Amino acid sequence: MASSLERTDMPDAAATLTEDRQTVELTALSAPAVAFTVGMIAFPVVYTIWLSFQSFSSTGQQSFVGLGNYAKLVSDNEFWHGLWVTVALYVLSLVLQLFFGVWLALVLFRAKRLPGIVRSLLISPFMMPPVVAGMMWLVILDPSLGAANYILTSLHLPPSDWLASPTWVIPTVALIDTWQWTPYVALIVLGGLQSLPPSVYEAAQIDGASSFKTFQRITLPLLLPTVVTATILRSVDLLRFFDIIYITTQGGPGNASNTLNIYGFRVGFEFFNIGYASALMLTLTAIVLGVVLAFNRLRGAVAW
Amino acid sequence: MRGKALAAQLMLSVIVAGTAGSARAADFNWKKFQGKTVTFLANNNPISAALLTHKADFEKLTGITLKVDGYQEQQMRQRLVTVMNAHSDEVDVFMTLPSREGAQFAAAGWYADLTPLTRNEVAPDYDYAGLSQALLKAATYDGKLTSMPMNIEGPVLYYRTDIFKKCGVDAPKTIADVEAAAKKIKACDSSITPFVSRGLKPALPYTFSNFLHNMGGNYMVNGKSALCSPKDKAALETYSGLLRDYGPPGVVNYSFPQISALYRAGRAAMDFEASNELRTVMEGGDRLKDTALIPLPAGDAGQVPTAIGWGIAVSANSKQPDAAWYFVQWATSPAVQKLLAVEGIAPPRSSVASDPAYRKWIEEQPVRKQWQAALDVLAAKGSSEVGYPIVANPESREFIGQAVQALILKQKSVDQACADADKQLDALIAKK
Amino acid sequence: MTDMPLDDAWIRRLNTLQLAVAGIILMAPVVWMVLSSFKPSFAVTAYPPTLIFSPTAENYSQLIQTTPFFSYAVNSLIVTVGSAGLGLLFGIPAAFAVSWTRISWPAVLTLAARMAPGTLFLLPWYVMFRQVGLIGSYTALILSHAVITLPIVIWVLLPSFDNIPRSVFEAAQVDGCSLTRILWRIALPLVGSGIAVAAILAFVFSWNYFLFALVLSNGDTKTLIAAAFNFVGEGSTEWGTLMAAATLIALPPLVLATLVQRWLVAGLTLGAVKG
Repeated sequence: MASSLERTDMPDAAATLTEDRQTVELTALSAPAVAFTVGMIAFPVVYTIWLSFQSFSSTGQQSFVGLGNYAKLVSDNEFWHGLWVTVALYVLSLVLQLFFGVWLALVLFRAKRLPGIVRSLLISPFMMPPVVAGMMWLVILDPSLGAANYILTSLHLPPSDWLASPTWVIPTVALIDTWQWTPYVALIVLGGLQSLPPSVYEAAQIDGASSFKTFQRITLPLLLPTVVTATILRSVDLLRFFDIIYITTQGGPGNASNTLNIYGFRVGFEFFNIGYASALMLTLTAIVLGVVLAFNRLRGAVAW
Repeated sequence: MRGKALAAQLMLSVIVAGTAGSARAADFNWKKFQGKTVTFLANNNPISAALLTHKADFEKLTGITLKVDGYQEQQMRQRLVTVMNAHSDEVDVFMTLPSREGAQFAAAGWYADLTPLTRNEVAPDYDYAGLSQALLKAATYDGKLTSMPMNIEGPVLYYRTDIFKKCGVDAPKTIADVEAAAKKIKACDSSITPFVSRGLKPALPYTFSNFLHNMGGNYMVNGKSALCSPKDKAALETYSGLLRDYGPPGVVNYSFPQISALYRAGRAAMDFEASNELRTVMEGGDRLKDTALIPLPAGDAGQVPTAIGWGIAVSANSKQPDAAWYFVQWATSPAVQKLLAVEGIAPPRSSVASDPAYRKWIEEQPVRKQWQAALDVLAAKGSSEVGYPIVANPESREFIGQAVQALILKQKSVDQACADADKQLDALIAKK
Repeated sequence: MTDMPLDDAWIRRLNTLQLAVAGIILMAPVVWMVLSSFKPSFAVTAYPPTLIFSPTAENYSQLIQTTPFFSYAVNSLIVTVGSAGLGLLFGIPAAFAVSWTRISWPAVLTLAARMAPGTLFLLPWYVMFRQVGLIGSYTALILSHAVITLPIVIWVLLPSFDNIPRSVFEAAQVDGCSLTRILWRIALPLVGSGIAVAAILAFVFSWNYFLFALVLSNGDTKTLIAAAFNFVGEGSTEWGTLMAAATLIALPPLVLATLVQRWLVAGLTLGAVKG
């Protein structure tokens, strides 16, 4: 898609004037968002960076330790384990959510005559507040009291410890998150599907292509920018996984579900180790930034 | 040794309170701070819920406007930490749990010292001496009294008398009896969980500490972590063994919500959980007639039950600590604690415990009588030590929890678990 | 060609089957939640779990009577509508500009606030807003929540704006239209479904976010989601009331999503423009 913004019917000087005017306008269009964001996050970020260079004693006395907290971070087993938990949970959840999200979006897209309220209900799981979702799954997945094991044993299948199993806690959390956020991905992809020109489909049908081939050759590539957007938006939340784990396992059993965000939170708010917690939080932020930049590159490649 | 020091302190405080009280009684005026506004950051547990139903009484008595901000416990702590770290005067009074955060908050300088206030600005009928001296001591750091106790609570053993009868088990008198009972019940009825208690990492020190103390163990000896001492190891093995072999599947995630739910649903024979879960456990009435309640049976060191209490404190950053103090003393006065008692809030005052209205409430249900009897034991012999007696108490609970969980999950041997924990705890103790 | 009708019918049936499966999996826990809200608290955790029971409205009546539910809801509404509105106001032009120039750093920058753990902002914002006396004001809540809604709006709208072929704008450019006019007159009507999605997501995220309200609100401006936490605590874990609160809290986003569906399925009139 070529971007022909140049005006070929005007003399050069006038063309430059238009471009300059456009540049001013473009700056003005994005300025409020940029200024607002900078205004809100500048102080917190700078303050946290400063805090990460301090060490706090139990009596609240602080001393400058430079990169001491970061050195501690590198040699902290809990940090590396937390990183592993975070990445494992992230990859598993993301793959599941993208796959089922696109699938659900297509199903919804084809069910054109579905009443609005039904469609809304189907996407409602992600509208549930995290504390409620956590408490609800805590009961449903309780090995002794929950409906999940009740159904399994009724079907003569072996019950599971679900969230209490060091091996299965991460997949279980990933499943809970997938249940909740697949509709979110589906909604974003659905919005993308709706904005695709219908002529695209008409052309494919005239050629007699089967639905699956249409999907593969035409729809999917056109959907890719939307899918990458959904990936970026989900990545930002998944890498900072906190709510469900905090309500159900608090990082346990042992530290099997101790994501970096949970670890950083406890270090700061429960152990009062504010300097180290700041270093942890900033490191996590840097990791998320790296992932976003990588996917953004991809997005630029497929969209532009 | 501890008893003597306690008695001496008791005598001293009675004398001080007595003389100070009589000297100032005539001057005391409830309406002294009329027109002021006091902000109370509350924890949404039954104590503050019950207290705040009488909010209008306080406002009428003193003419002070009470602004209340209530949150769930962990949310409230988050808010408090943020407000205090910013040295803000937004909060005047807040609820606190000395056994957990007392040393931490005191070291951070967040509490106002209540000692002079309890001497000079106290209503004549306040009866400072009537408050549990053990709880007051637990709230005193470096000679400063940091909060006034609002209730007394601790883990107690709820158990099913009908299941015990069915399986031919007697009421347990020692921890060994508990283990034997669990074994017998498991053999007798495989659909019932013999024993349930806390396995969730940050929550289990609350129940584990009671086992440790009953069995004669100590967290710290001579300034070093002592989890590998013989008695401590025995406690680790006993507690984790009970949960591992006789506990419900998934017990490593269990804290009070699931434990009470399991017992209430009739799926557990023994439930070692907080005393103030009584109301939750009795909800629906199923367990009203078949439950007995006792403090944790004795170990080698007898019964040293865990007894803690929520306190109400004045913020060191408050711009009006004296007005705030009026709310604190009203909330912990005998009159108000009497009102709270009949709503199920165990009072930290023996005078209230023997008050006729309260006794009538107790007599209504046999299980309430047993509950009060258990709390009497807690009040008399209790220890507030949950986790390590250091400033970094919350962090110490993390390592205790890790050790016990590793044993429940069969990830480490006892020697390995206690050694790993000791190493980290020594580092924690050494950190200043 | 003669195979087409059979193909279509089968595809439609297959789709309905898939829809049913998705519906059951997605809705079962939600149905559990709503049913539980009509059970007394101890019955929610009873075993075996019951599908047939005699419903009671006591959880709802207790909720309405013992908590200032309505005023919390109003607070939440003010904050959510304000922050979603602010997000749309700043986000739509920004997304357009990023799509037009293909320079994406502004979009990444607004997302930066979402890359850091929310707890990173608690203390600095408390200090900041306290300095200007805005603690407990709707302003502080709206501004902090807008930090969340703004990147969602921008990133959801980016692909929508990207999908508009340049040729659509050529006519307007020849006429010398300013970019703002192009955005307002031409681009905006074409991204209706994108805006619908952005509005739903912005609303839901702001509505359910409790962390900032925890420190920036006071008793008068406390939001609904903070109230949901109150039903889980030692000595009083009220499952039934929690589920009732959850059901009520989920209603406004659901209502919004239903109302906005119209734009979501409107599709595109792009075909007409191209033709």
